[in-house]
Amino acid sequence: MSFDFSLILSSVPQLLEGISLTFQLWFLSGILGLLLAIVLMLMRISGKWFLYAPAMVYIYVFRGTPILVQIFIIYYGLPQIEFIRESIFWEILREPFGCGILALSLNTGAYVSEILRGGVLGVAKGLGEAGAALGLSKVQRFIYITTPLAIRLSIPAYSNDVISLMKSTALVSTITLLDMMGIARIIVAETYAPYEIFISLMIIYLIITWVTQRTFALFERRMSRHITVSTL
Amino acid sequence: MESLTGWWDDFFWGSVVVVEVFIVALVLMVCFGLLGSAAKLSNSKILHSIANGYTVIFRGTPEILILLLFYFGSAVTLTAIAQLFDPSIKFIDIPPFWAGSIAISLIVGSYATETFRGAFLGVDTGQIEAARALGISNFKTFVYIRIPAMWRLALPPFGNHMLSLIKDTALISVIGLQETMFVAEQATGTTGKPFVMYLTVGAIYLTFSTFITLSVMGFEKYGSKHLEVS
Repeated sequence: MSFDFSLILSSVPQLLEGISLTFQLWFLSGILGLLLAIVLMLMRISGKWFLYAPAMVYIYVFRGTPILVQIFIIYYGLPQIEFIRESIFWEILREPFGCGILALSLNTGAYVSEILRGGVLGVAKGLGEAGAALGLSKVQRFIYITTPLAIRLSIPAYSNDVISLMKSTALVSTITLLDMMGIARIIVAETYAPYEIFISLMIIYLIITWVTQRTFALFERRMSRHITVSTL
Repeated sequence: MESLTGWWDDFFWGSVVVVEVFIVALVLMVCFGLLGSAAKLSNSKILHSIANGYTVIFRGTPEILILLLFYFGSAVTLTAIAQLFDPSIKFIDIPPFWAGSIAISLIVGSYATETFRGAFLGVDTGQIEAARALGISNFKTFVYIRIPAMWRLALPPFGNHMLSLIKDTALISVIGLQETMFVAEQATGTTGKPFVMYLTVGAIYLTFSTFITLSVMGFEKYGSKHLEVS
């Protein structure tokens, strides 16, 4: 047993061939999940039971079960139901890529909606009251006062969730997709060199995580530039 | 529902495996979390950077990658060592149960490191100073003052760590542990009803998550009962 550096050099380009699939899964499901999260969050804070009860059940179910189970229900389970096979969604659900996107979006939506709700509830009440005193309507107050502040409050937790979504994309390798993880598993099966391949892949993922964290930190600093004390 | 007939006992034993992994991994996770936070709080630069490396690596890479690295990595190492003694040996591995439990407890332990560190630093310093003024020894201060204050602070995030742990057990089916996901795969092969089978797995995990959430809520209530106004 030895650590084979030439194998690392030859396999890293192969691993990087899967990076575009990883990024596609990450960005597409990140955006769809965020849209879903906004809808769920609005339902949760609506104050109407027929809106917040379904949202709460949805969040409870998707946060209470492993994402791998959700992926398998969608990829292996849904084709069992006849009307899904006959519906227009079959085009998406027939492909593992569509199933991956659907599962990841549904899952991250549940988590992010709770983060956004925390952000909205974290905005000081007095600001909304001040807006009301100035004659702004409820919708105007939500858009111009609550939203910008809630976004800033949500960034730290949201960046963690974006990173955990990136990590979850590796799970699609279990439904035959060849993202970086899927390619790594194939190379390991061929070469039987788990250390070289998996550690190289770990470093690639760590770089992505680090860049993401830095980007969100910069964004957060920009969003809170009016409250940071100038050092001049 | 009738398609589940004959599979109930398999799902039951699969759930028992989930519980076993969860308990083993929970104990290990607390150990790794405590060691990590102790290292982060220590004055030693070496320990500090080891703990930092640990949390960065285990929080920044996919769970399934760490799991596969552990399982196949240990198998390659063990096989190589065994072949030194007996060249006819083809393959030796750590049982998936142990490889999986250790991997997921290391992953969640890296999150617990931050939780325990935060809880340690969150204890009001005035209380520690008061104990010193009363001449209470460092050890007694730790046991009677710091720990009771710490666990209340750590409990809500610790509940989330337990939820992550129970959900991560599903991943271990990837390396062949015969838990509920594995049962569902087998049952699908026989009955051709994957939707029902994986939905059953989801229901089992939802039951476990609910149980954990309710227990943590109970403990939180117990922990804050001295704050209630009678």
